[in-house]
Amino acid sequence: MKMFSTAARLFMTATLALATISVNAQDKFRVCADPLNPPYSTKEQTGYENKIAALFAEQLGQELEYTWLPERIGFIRNTLKAENDNGEGFKCDVVMGVPAGYDLTDTSKPYFHSTYVLLIAKGRGWDDIKDSAQLANLPLDRQEKLKIAMFDRGPGTEWLQKSGLLEQGIPYQSMTGDSEHNTAMQIEKDLRAKKIDMVILWGPMAGYVQSQAPKGSYIAIPMQSSPGLKFDFSIAVGLRQGDNKRKQQLNELIDKNLDKIQAIIAGYDIAVLPIPADTGKKDDD
Amino acid sequence: MKKPVKNWLLASTVATLLAAPTVSTANSDVEKLTQDPANWATWGGDYAGTRYSKLSQINAQNVKNLQPAWSFSTGVLRGHEGGPLVVNGVMFIHTPFPNTVYAIDQKTKAVIWEFTPTMDADVTIPVMCCDTVNRGLAYGDGKIFLQQSDTVLTALDAKTGKRVWSVQNGDPKLGMTNTNAPLVVKDKVITGISGGEFGVRGFLAAYNIRTGQLEWKGYSMGPDKDTLLKPGKSTTWENGKVTPVGADSGTSTWKGDQWKIGGGTTWGWYSYDPKLNLVYYGSGNPSTWNPVQRPGDNKWSMSLWARDADTGEVKWVYQMTPHDEWDYDGINETVLVDQEVKGKMHKTIVHFDRNGFGYTLDRETGELLVAEKFDKSVNWASHVDLKSGRPEVVPEFSTEHNGEDVNTVGTCPAALGSKNQQPVSYSPQTGLFYISGNHLCMEYEPFEVSYTAGQPYVGATLSMMPAGADVLTGKKDGTTNLGQFTAYDAKTGKIAWSNKEQFSVWSGSVATAGGVVFYGTLEGYLKAVDAKTGKELYKFKTPSGIIGNVNTWEFEGKQYVGVLSGIGGWAGIGIAAGIDDGTSASSSEGLGAVGAYRSLSSYTKLGGTLTVFALPN
Repeated sequence: MKMFSTAARLFMTATLALATISVNAQDKFRVCADPLNPPYSTKEQTGYENKIAALFAEQLGQELEYTWLPERIGFIRNTLKAENDNGEGFKCDVVMGVPAGYDLTDTSKPYFHSTYVLLIAKGRGWDDIKDSAQLANLPLDRQEKLKIAMFDRGPGTEWLQKSGLLEQGIPYQSMTGDSEHNTAMQIEKDLRAKKIDMVILWGPMAGYVQSQAPKGSYIAIPMQSSPGLKFDFSIAVGLRQGDNKRKQQLNELIDKNLDKIQAIIAGYDIAVLPIPADTGKKDDD
Repeated sequence: MKKPVKNWLLASTVATLLAAPTVSTANSDVEKLTQDPANWATWGGDYAGTRYSKLSQINAQNVKNLQPAWSFSTGVLRGHEGGPLVVNGVMFIHTPFPNTVYAIDQKTKAVIWEFTPTMDADVTIPVMCCDTVNRGLAYGDGKIFLQQSDTVLTALDAKTGKRVWSVQNGDPKLGMTNTNAPLVVKDKVITGISGGEFGVRGFLAAYNIRTGQLEWKGYSMGPDKDTLLKPGKSTTWENGKVTPVGADSGTSTWKGDQWKIGGGTTWGWYSYDPKLNLVYYGSGNPSTWNPVQRPGDNKWSMSLWARDADTGEVKWVYQMTPHDEWDYDGINETVLVDQEVKGKMHKTIVHFDRNGFGYTLDRETGELLVAEKFDKSVNWASHVDLKSGRPEVVPEFSTEHNGEDVNTVGTCPAALGSKNQQPVSYSPQTGLFYISGNHLCMEYEPFEVSYTAGQPYVGATLSMMPAGADVLTGKKDGTTNLGQFTAYDAKTGKIAWSNKEQFSVWSGSVATAGGVVFYGTLEGYLKAVDAKTGKELYKFKTPSGIIGNVNTWEFEGKQYVGVLSGIGGWAGIGIAAGIDDGTSASSSEGLGAVGAYRSLSSYTKLGGTLTVFALPN
């Protein structure tokens, strides 16, 4: 079904003006997160998003409360925008990591910026690759040996296509249906098992893969955005449209704690770029 | 040595007795049950999927006196698709997740048995893209078949509700789920699979009715051994003739290994022709999601299929929307009727696609006979070329032609199609098909940031708006209705009449020998209209919006009409999933998707109820 890849997207355009919820110290800092989604979040709260959430809760003097749900299609609908069973309020108020300007939620100002990375396992005949463009220009006999992951959706697949490498791609689902196994974990496993030698992976996930092997096991080449093909994105906190007080509060927290946030992220081998000034949601959204 | 049986009558009785318990009767069993209009024994009323009832107690003259006779709460919120089955007086209904089944005694209106499978909500709900619907049950061989959301196919003893067997039809860990109603054919239960947005490769599977063992499985794409296409034998419509397909046609229109996540799921309805022994259905849209990233026709996504019921071998296949760019999922039902087209009688198959075209083919050969718009606001293609069988795509409405950084405006229909899964009905009295339709267009706005499983990318926003054009002519008329209920002649491709509905009609209709057609609306009305003219004859507001199918049957000499109400599904997801709090400000740029359905919440709320209607005593 696809009932609908676009089905979920249908609801992105809804402009919701919810009654403003007052935010005060008695409130809990209520987060929806995936219980097994390293390096973002885990139930043991070892992900960097867990740590940023803990930091914010502490500074607000609020108790940190999680609602857990695997992050798949429908996640925002079933968490941030889902009412509690008793009809009072929503299951949570924030989702710690969404792209700035994300169309399913309102977003805070960005708190970090990363890029997709071409990750190559060393010692498999590709150690000479220093630049992604090299892959596109390989002699045919070498090109045919490429074992590169290709996702449903995502800029990596588009890059493969523009580089004439679609035939070489090894297809992966954009998300697993397995709540006990996320995409980063699957890719890590398959790289180790030599099912694939390389992958174009979003920065934090590439960082996770690298963190699971001895240092220097991978070549990591940041992908360069070009007109019409964007690889770098800013990440922000997602919240319900119209929850303006909370947005203001989150923005203040981000301003105040930018160093601490970046120190947390630095512990996860993630390719980090400076936050561009022009990211964020257009006002008329 | 056997004793010769002297009495011929006795011999035949013995033979009958011996034959009775064998499974080959399962088919004739269902077929026989469907021939008695007192039953509603399969989703379509009959194997052909006509959703026509020979009952005439309720007719165009007296339907105005119709009354609700009794009702029953399913105890489940969310979208209730499908409809009640009635077999030998016992009613069977189902719910969305958690897929509870109730057997109900019509005399006492009491529950005979109920069954709720054990399913892990945390595993299943996150992989169900578009609400947790289920389209109903199948009956055969004394069993009720339930296709659970978590892909487990379960056979229950129809008398006791005791589980006879269960089989895992797919793997939710790979994004597979199920929403479809199964179909019992001979000694097999036919089912499909959902999960296109996870890149699931669709298939149709047949399981043994007694044991649950897999008998055959035919994929929508892949090598011939997977698709069960036989090169040189299986055919398609090409160059104006029925043409054998070549080897590996299920991989040759894909780049590399992309067919492995190729989509083409099979979550719609299946029909069966016992004489030809062929099973018919449609396959869904291709994956990956971005059409630019999957060059080629992407066969056999978006196709109509005829498979041998015993072996799954493909008799013929026809692709309606090559290289889909619009999400015109091809899974809608296939209705099997015999009609005279262009002066010649054909055993036809009729299919009203999401893409806005009504297709009439010869179901024996796969010959394309008629392909016309059943809503003239449809503009993504000017027409279907009957010789090549391909749509003539209008470049202006092609996202790919326009490039990824150009808004594609006013493409009709919207992604949810001129018609979605809600099945049509057909009346042999009028020769017309009755189509529950959508009347929407859409816009793609590129450069929206999206996010899948932790990976951000640049996607496109899809927003929908009323078609604002006349169904019969396609002329802009500034109307704001989102639904149509249309009568269409599949012999000629002509629209007979069409009624406007404020919201999309998401309820399957039923046509009766009483000259009446029934359907439900998203606001919750059960409506009866005159089959000849479309004139509204009766309406009653049920407790919630209707996305279920209206069915009809007879019990103790009285004709009943029943429908499950319970808003949800795709159209109602804004309400079902709590996105829309009803206080939303209107978007300044027309109506967004939830926007388009937003005012629905002032008409109806969640809640599953069966409402049964009859004439007063």
